[in-house]
Amino acid sequence: MELNNQPSFDAPIPGQSLTAELGARPWQSKPQYPTVDEAIDYYMERMSSEEFMIQLAEILESGVPVTILANTIQMAGVMEGKHTIDVGMLVLPMLMEMIMMVGDSAGIEYNNGLEDKNKPKVRDSLIAKVINTYSKEIEGIDLSTDDTEVEDEEEIIEEPKGLMARRT
Amino acid sequence: MSRQYNPAVAAYKRMDLNSLPEDNKQEQVSSKGLLARSSPSNKGTSDLDYSNPAVRVAKQMQVIRKYRDEINGTK
Repeated sequence: MELNNQPSFDAPIPGQSLTAELGARPWQSKPQYPTVDEAIDYYMERMSSEEFMIQLAEILESGVPVTILANTIQMAGVMEGKHTIDVGMLVLPMLMEMIMMVGDSAGIEYNNGLEDKNKPKVRDSLIAKVINTYSKEIEGIDLSTDDTEVEDEEEIIEEPKGLMARRT
Repeated sequence: MSRQYNPAVAAYKRMDLNSLPEDNKQEQVSSKGLLARSSPSNKGTSDLDYSNPAVRVAKQMQVIRKYRDEINGTK
């Protein structure tokens, strides 16, 4: 609970939004690609360049989840005034699919970021219980008979029976 | 970054591509008889609302997913 009481240094300073003229920021002016189709075309063209694909593959290989990558790309588009935030939200799944396709074609084992981190994990006590039951089962099996068979096999030495065989 | 809410997870999971019908472009044989239909029938065409931008995104995704499946050899 103490963590929640910590001051957040990531938050904007009060009045920060008023430090520039209204409409001076790219996201405050008219978007370059106002429709979803135009935004898709823009991203398709951008992502199909070889340079972008190489960079993307390197980032995926470093373990950055696809969800975070797609959201960052989309957010950068909004900040640059390419499209609105709602068009960005609509384009997000397509961006993810595109990134995953690049990862698949490059043969990278990427993290898609869709797994729920809060999902309950298998408890250690449960694992310990399973180990206990199996160890008891193993204890019940008599392994001594198998050892004698091996010993017998070693003792039997075949004597040569041919005419040219060496006599000892 | 990790503590921040990421809308990509919900947006991706809500895209149900499996229930989206695939485009089957079949050439329709047009009959020229007197009793032939004058307007093209809507049979066979999907009831998808293409004016909905989410549907258009889903269609794009379906094409990419198909290509991905081909790469992975799952289909």
